[in-house]
Amino acid sequence: MKKIERKDFLKLGGGAVLGGLSGWVFSGAPFLGFQWLAEWTQDQYVPVKGFEKYAQAVSDSCPAGCKVSVRMIGDRAVKIESKDGVCPACHNALQLTYHPERISTPLKRKGDKGDGKFVPVTWEEAVKEISSKMNSLITEGKANSIAAINKNESLNGQLMEKFIKAAGSNNVYYEPSLKSLTSSALGGYINYDFANTDYVLSFGAKLVEGWDSSADMQKVFTQWKTKGTKIVQADTVCSMTASLASEWVPVKPGTEAVLAFGIANYLITGRRLNSTGEEFGKWSQLIINKFPLAKVASYTGVSEERIKKIGDDFSKAKNPVAVSGKGACGVNASSAEIIAVYCLNTLVKSKAATLMTNSSVTYKGEFAGLDSFIKDGKFSMLFLNNSDPVYKSVLGEDLKKKMEKAFVVSINPIMNDSANYADIILPSLSFLESETPENKAVVSNFKESKDAKDIIIALSKSLDKTKDTFSFASGIDSFKVAGKETASGAKFSFNVDKIKNDIDALDKKFAANAEYPLFMIPVEAPLVGDGDGLAFPYVLKSIDPTVFYKGKLLVQINRETGKKYGLSENESIVIRSARGKLDKVYVHLTDTVAPDTVAMPLGFGHESYTKYGSDKGVNPKKIMAADVDPLTGTADWWSTRVKIS
Amino acid sequence: MKEKVKEVKMKRRWGMAIDLDKCTGCGKCSVACNQENNMPIFEDDSDVPKRVAFLELMKVTNDRDAKFPDVKTAYLPKMCQMCEGNDPKNPNPPCVSVCPAVATDVGDDGVVSQIWSRCIGCRYCQTACPYEARVFNWWKPEYEGSFKKSLSTDVSVASRGTVVKCTFCSHIWKRERDAATAKGILDINAVLYTPACAGTCPTGAIVFGDLNDHDSEVYKLTQTDRAVRLTNPVDDVKDADKKKSLLKAKQFTNPKVYYLTSQQWLRDMMRFKKNS
Amino acid sequence: MEILKKWFKAGYDGIFEGTSKNMRIALYVLIVLSILFGIFAIQILFWGLGYTDMDNNFAWGAWIIGDLGLVALGGGAFTTGYLLYIFRVDKLRPIINSTVLIGFMCYLFTFVFLLFDLGQPLRAWFGFAYPNWGQGVYPVSMLTEVFFCLSLYFCILVVELIPTVLEHKVLIKNKYVAMVAHYMHLLMWTMAAGGTFLSFFHQGSLGGGMWGVLYAKTVWYAPHFFFMAVVAAMAGGTSFMTLVPYIAGKIMKKEVVPMETYQILTRISGFIFIFYFIFRSYDIYAAVYKYAPMGGREFIDMWGGYYGIWMLVLEMLLFAGPLIFLNIKKYREQEKFMVIGASCGVGAIVVSKLSVLLHGFSAPNFPWKGFTAYGPTFQEWIITFGVFALMILIYMAFVKWFPLFPHLEHNEHDAHH
Ligand code: SF4
Ligand code: SF4
Ligand code: SF4
Repeated sequence: MKKIERKDFLKLGGGAVLGGLSGWVFSGAPFLGFQWLAEWTQDQYVPVKGFEKYAQAVSDSCPAGCKVSVRMIGDRAVKIESKDGVCPACHNALQLTYHPERISTPLKRKGDKGDGKFVPVTWEEAVKEISSKMNSLITEGKANSIAAINKNESLNGQLMEKFIKAAGSNNVYYEPSLKSLTSSALGGYINYDFANTDYVLSFGAKLVEGWDSSADMQKVFTQWKTKGTKIVQADTVCSMTASLASEWVPVKPGTEAVLAFGIANYLITGRRLNSTGEEFGKWSQLIINKFPLAKVASYTGVSEERIKKIGDDFSKAKNPVAVSGKGACGVNASSAEIIAVYCLNTLVKSKAATLMTNSSVTYKGEFAGLDSFIKDGKFSMLFLNNSDPVYKSVLGEDLKKKMEKAFVVSINPIMNDSANYADIILPSLSFLESETPENKAVVSNFKESKDAKDIIIALSKSLDKTKDTFSFASGIDSFKVAGKETASGAKFSFNVDKIKNDIDALDKKFAANAEYPLFMIPVEAPLVGDGDGLAFPYVLKSIDPTVFYKGKLLVQINRETGKKYGLSENESIVIRSARGKLDKVYVHLTDTVAPDTVAMPLGFGHESYTKYGSDKGVNPKKIMAADVDPLTGTADWWSTRVKIS
Repeated sequence: MKEKVKEVKMKRRWGMAIDLDKCTGCGKCSVACNQENNMPIFEDDSDVPKRVAFLELMKVTNDRDAKFPDVKTAYLPKMCQMCEGNDPKNPNPPCVSVCPAVATDVGDDGVVSQIWSRCIGCRYCQTACPYEARVFNWWKPEYEGSFKKSLSTDVSVASRGTVVKCTFCSHIWKRERDAATAKGILDINAVLYTPACAGTCPTGAIVFGDLNDHDSEVYKLTQTDRAVRLTNPVDDVKDADKKKSLLKAKQFTNPKVYYLTSQQWLRDMMRFKKNS
Repeated sequence: MEILKKWFKAGYDGIFEGTSKNMRIALYVLIVLSILFGIFAIQILFWGLGYTDMDNNFAWGAWIIGDLGLVALGGGAFTTGYLLYIFRVDKLRPIINSTVLIGFMCYLFTFVFLLFDLGQPLRAWFGFAYPNWGQGVYPVSMLTEVFFCLSLYFCILVVELIPTVLEHKVLIKNKYVAMVAHYMHLLMWTMAAGGTFLSFFHQGSLGGGMWGVLYAKTVWYAPHFFFMAVVAAMAGGTSFMTLVPYIAGKIMKKEVVPMETYQILTRISGFIFIFYFIFRSYDIYAAVYKYAPMGGREFIDMWGGYYGIWMLVLEMLLFAGPLIFLNIKKYREQEKFMVIGASCGVGAIVVSKLSVLLHGFSAPNFPWKGFTAYGPTFQEWIITFGVFALMILIYMAFVKWFPLFPHLEHNEHDAHH
């Protein structure tokens, strides 16, 4: 009896368990459990919801003043849109605004310069320290040893220029740009009327790849396409501009200036054209004697016939224009080159190139330009206004040394190679956080950071000497005093005496060189530009594997040349110039590059440009040629003689 | 109200035309796509084959066919090509039929969708896709600190181990439709939209629209001689009979993304055999 | 603590007692591999597949090769079972337990590999919950079919394996157990029939259909792939089923399976290899003249790169083994040639799976891109070899503790008398 009971009990129990189990399974509970487990182990981040709207913003930190429309979710900006085109920096403003390595408070150096160790201080402390330092320099009569380097001529750059000048110093410089270079070489930067030209002759200017104001150039390019404007591009690599141009004139590395001489030569002697520029006679004699077409052909690799043909087409076009300024975001050209190319415009009396000036910006200081200042200048105090000359200048290493002995103040929203050598860092804003007369700020200031304009005004108010420089207390009012752009009116001069030496030196530059048989020239990757883009992850995401792949920076070398040196794809090489060597570069073989040329991507190899931008590839500026041009005060780094091993 | 929306017959068949003669390779489309679709943010994204991005700005040169100085360069923005197979009425993209969990499907508007949260991560669809348009989250998608603030609520953040892809930004269409519904417009066909990449292209190289609407710009562009589709060999067969028999013998991808170019070298480079 | 020590010692003795030195080293290696497998399994399952060398272009790697190989070679189980239980080739009985065990393990570890390959292993059940079945009777996704067939066939293998376990000398003394084992044996033909039916589907789908249906990928697209893979599994699987007990016997220095059985199985294998070879030749011919041109490509361009032509040549060379040595009686009857033939056969199958996968992913998808290479990471190697080590260990355990080879026990039994 008992036994049976137990059996029954077992049966019952077993049945219950089984039934329960199957019920549980069929209820779907275990599967749901799995689902939860999956979600839990995956820990998906869910973006915070909010009311959706669009806010408008105008960039006050880029010279083009990009106008954008920002999609907002609650108080978060999630997307930048623009109808009129936007420059890469402004397009990436989201990732600047929300960069996890934004500087949140004023910082003071702790430890040696370059160590990157800083401690937070209050705004009052920071401003006080800066003003007392400035004050003592001014009272000692060393006001001229206060210097500033601006990133560009945006409003805060103009304010900085005013402030430093008011303090009694003439040393305000700008990171070299197309405007600064042409301004120094020609007495005014060029305003191109691209919309109305029918023939564009470009000397290495990568017109659609970030050159000048990239957003505008994209629009211009679309117009050219619809109108059928003829674009002739002299270039050493088959860049996008070269490929999209109606005609690509492959030139040997760095010989764009010589090609311009050749064409000028032909137009003067062959087609009897004249320029009204000062010293034209002297210049033309020089060119005609020194650069006969045969020599130009052998230097540039462009045949005499082709040079003549280009000259003919150019002079016969209705509204032709010649464009100088090799490069895309990082522009470089000697004054001799800028003058020679501008001369072509004057020869054909081009209506499409006008010299301009900005009433608030002078590109010259005590020295002709930034590089000559770095090379020969002395300073006890230096302001860096969002600029990164340590990274961008070929003389960056020299600047580092000088900065070690001076008091350096850097104003910027995130760290960069130069700010790493600063004594005080003042956090500034992304343009989404700053107010303009038309629009309110899109998002609120990051922690304690402040508008660069406000910072500069506050600094000037803290000094007796400069307290009346600005008649207003807030940056928003400074828009009233923004510089006006006007036709320069200055007479264009060939400045033959100043550039003669450089022209003479060209022979040596292009002579065969057994030790350094190759030329290194820069190229740029989309969005990376000359390096500003690298701190932003969505730029990193867009880099082509033929440029930067699995942590390796690739240089482009012609296949024939590669064969000559026994190089294979992805092989590691060392590049040496007279100034030093670059290792950890790898080879990408492609025929889009001229023979005997190493095409080297710019923009990589930052030392402390946030963890996203740092330690990726190498910075070729370190070994690039550093002969400083007398007129522009900028090193002519475009083509550098190198060898590889 | 919802019922009514459902009743309307879908007329749209979304497609894209990308003018490679206008594309300057500026990369705006890539940045816009990354922003719009909450792409993960890694410290080093140079491991390109493991990179998670819907739009790849591919650099194309004719190194295969030419030597310096007869070379050319172009950038080719490549996203999901929205393949439809041989029959537009009954689309059969290569990647959809293979999915064991129905995580990807093709909608009646022709858009190949992907449900992140349904994907088991087997990567069969990646294997099937000839355009490398699908990407897998090899690592857990990261958004360090305040970068999270820039994430949009329209696109969910994917988990590690799932396949994600370009969806022609169909969430934007949904957004626009919702806005229209709020205004009382219930017909889904009344609403058009522009994906992020097309909306941002400064040269207007990317044109998006309805391929069923023969008045649309995109339709007209795809009908020109300049239109060419990526590695879709059946397009090169001019003889109508031959084409018919080919289509009978085999499925082709027949993408709804067209590239436009009059540059012969580029057309050649878009084929495996030169001058085919 | 003491207990643990004792327990450990007992286990240690149980495993290593009476083993030769070489054997001991081999065992150490296998055990270390299995432990490493466990460690890296955690890494892969919890931190993701980033640690592999697979990528968006090379979407599958070592583990899928493992799957393809295991399932193809495990296909010997259904072939042998079918021959024994349906065709009543009774001479195969001495090998059937080993065959079932190998089949069981092949499928078990195929699941393991598949699980590792899933980005979301916890969502594996979605395959059953949301199958891509489409409108028809037949599932739309080959992988859906693999999911279902593989699981069902695995169940069958479990049932087939149970008698072997039940016949353990301790268990079988129980009268109920003996009865169950007996009846299961009698019913085994149903299992064999069911297994064969299922196998035909999934062999085709995992080995061939999975690839053949990828119409957009010219390297793979071949509608006949499905059928070819079934034949490949029958041909290679039977060879494999011969080899494993043969090697086990060599190591144990005992005759575990009578030569006669080997002969039958290798003869069948050789015979099927003829069909497979014809099929494969047609396959290549069709690829060159039909499918490559249809895909707008040239076969010879497509088959360059790291894993191209040489693998094809190697496969063809390996074919010679089974075709000659297993089909010509004179050779087959010499043990040496029989073994070479069977090994070459297994080799040919493995190489074909390798080349399907490696070459298929390596071939460029865009005309401006080059071939890519795949170098499995340490984790991938460990998981792969860890699985093989576990398989060998399980097989050894069965040899040691279960009546895997009835023939052997027969002989020993006789010897005792
Ligand atoms: S945004 Fe337009 S021009 Fe720029 S890369 Fe993309 S398609 Fe080309
Ligand atoms: S491109 Fe790839 S992902 Fe897009 S529909 Fe075609 S096969 Fe699918
Ligand atoms: S359609 Fe949308 S998801 Fe697709 S590539 Fe363009 S922006 Fe990216």
